[in-house]
Order: sequence, then structure tokens, then C-alpha cells
Amino acid sequence: MNAGLIYLLLLKASVTSFSGLSSLPVVRSDFVVKRKVITDRQLNTAVAVARMTPGPLGLYLVLVGHQAGGVAGAAAGFAAMITPAFAAIGLLRYAGQRAEQPEVRGVVRAVTLAGAGLLLATAIPFARDAIGTVASAAIAAAAFAALAFTKTDTAWVIAGAAVAGIATRSVL
Amino acid sequence: MATPSAARLAAVFVRTGNLTFGGGDPTMAALQRELVDRRGWLTAEQYGLIFALARITPGTNVLAFCAGAGWRIAGAAGAVVAVLGASAPSAVVAVWLLSVYQTAAANVWAAAGMNGVAAAVAGLMVAGAWLLIRPHLRDGNGWRTLLTAGMAFGLSAGLGWPPVPILGAAAALGWIWKEEGR
Repeated sequence: MNAGLIYLLLLKASVTSFSGLSSLPVVRSDFVVKRKVITDRQLNTAVAVARMTPGPLGLYLVLVGHQAGGVAGAAAGFAAMITPAFAAIGLLRYAGQRAEQPEVRGVVRAVTLAGAGLLLATAIPFARDAIGTVASAAIAAAAFAALAFTKTDTAWVIAGAAVAGIATRSVL
Repeated sequence: MATPSAARLAAVFVRTGNLTFGGGDPTMAALQRELVDRRGWLTAEQYGLIFALARITPGTNVLAFCAGAGWRIAGAAGAVVAVLGASAPSAVVAVWLLSVYQTAAANVWAAAGMNGVAAAVAGLMVAGAWLLIRPHLRDGNGWRTLLTAGMAFGLSAGLGWPPVPILGAAAALGWIWKEEGR
């Protein structure tokens, strides 16, 4: 896939999200559903590896770019990840006082919540692909609980899931 | 305060941005210690404003924070140094890890571990959505919160709408329907 197109598609995903993995539904829509250049499992892998790497969660955009277009695609993904950050300078110069306006807060809040709803919808095909046994369902539930209700670092959750996956295979 | 050199600025952002697990919030907390408490390159008020603006900047919040902080400390060059310093090394590591991960997939035991990780990612995604929703349930806007997130979920999972129109509709709704209890 052309690096320029990868940049534009990942930039679209990046600028329509405000936190964490909320860009994921747009990425899946463009790369998995419409253009079919990567699979759900590859997208899952990109998220998992980004979670294992120290640094911003948005790193998964670099990995999606790499899967879709090699090294040039990774560079495009990196550029798409960092480009929106520079908008903060414009906000800092011209709009600092407006950050507390009710309309601005309302937009950010509503987009964040809609992003959460979209993330839940995106989790459905991921779960269909990854959860096929009682053991894998238990791993998914444990990962949910660890992140939602404890302060456990996600790198440990990922490592624990890998160990559990190996243990399950050795037992069954 | 004298403007720090690009090398000193880069050293702080490279170390903090690439060695902190857990995403944006722990990194921004670590940067508060480095930039405000230890070095005095930003005041607490400047940090607070940049932190708030990073939250409303689209994309990866922690990189928006780095751009704003770098710009405030050392101008446009500072912004570029801060953003690249906080993200480029970990991007290289991530691509390397991806290749290791894909190579290891041929091994049956590694593949079993990866299946466990894939299941965990599905759980982490649901948890990520919950963590976005939870703070808004506690501030007197509970039913509005559930309605907005539920609408987006229903339009996507139920009707197959693409994400961007859903986010646009949510933005319009948020602009018109102001918050209560603030």
C-alpha cells in the first residue's frame, strides 16, 4: 500500500480521536474492512506489541503502517502519529482561555464518549477472532479486570496472558 | 530561566518518554517531576494549562503535551525535539518487537502465548472503553454519558455506520447539549 495513502488514512484516524485506543475503530474501518490490507489478527498484534513497548499507546499506528506498507509505511504511521501533536502549539498560543468554555468541553466530552462506544463495537470482531475457548475467555476477562479495577501495568497483563496461553496449551 | 540546550531538552524527553510504561498519564506525571519540580523549566500553572490543552488536542495526548511543553520551553525547535525525542526511539523498538513477534509465531509454544495475548487485548479494549466512560458517570451526567456512548455503539455495531460520521454527530451533540454540574 502506498505510503502517502497510509499517512492520510492514519492521520484521519488520529485527528478524530482524543485518547488511548479511540482511533482504533477508524483504523479498522479503513485498513481491515474497506481496503482489506491487514486482518483483525494483525491489528490485534499491532495493539499488543504497542502495549508491550514503553512510550505512547499511539505507537500502534506505526505498526499498522509497517504491516500495510513496510518501512515506508511505518514512517508514514509515525508521521501520522506525531502530526496532530503540533496543533497543541496553536491551542496554546490562541485558545488557552477557551479550553474551559462549556461548548468546547462538551464537544471533547461527547467525542471521547462516542470514541468509547466505538471502541466497544470494535472489540466485538476482536473477541470473535481471539476468544474461542473457555480458557481464552478467562484470559480476556482477567485482562479486563486487571486494567479496569487495578493499577497493574499493561505490560505485565500482556506478559501474564502470554504465560497463561502457554500454560493452557501444555495442560490441554 | 535560561533556555536549555536542545541536547538537554532531548535527554529529558527521550528518557521519560521512552522508559515509562502505561501510556500518557504516567509519562505526563513523570514529565511534571522533571520539568516543573526538578528543573524549573515550566511553572506549575504552565504545566496545568499545557496538560489541559493536550487533552483537547486530537491524536496522542502525551505527544501533544510534549509539543506544547517543548514549545513553551524552547520555541518551535523545542517542540520538534520534544515530540521526536519522546516517540522516535520507542517507535523503532516497537517495529523491532513486531518483527520478533511475527518470527516467533512459527513456534507452537510462542503461538500459544500469542493466542493468550490476543484474548487479553480484547479484554483490554473493553477495559479501555470503560476507563473512558467511568469518570463521566460520577459527575452528575450519568445518563447523558450512557446515551452518548450507547448511541455510538449502536450506530456502529447495530447499523454499521462508519466511525467519522458518528464522531461528527457526537461533536455536534456535545456543542449543543452543554454539561451540567460544572
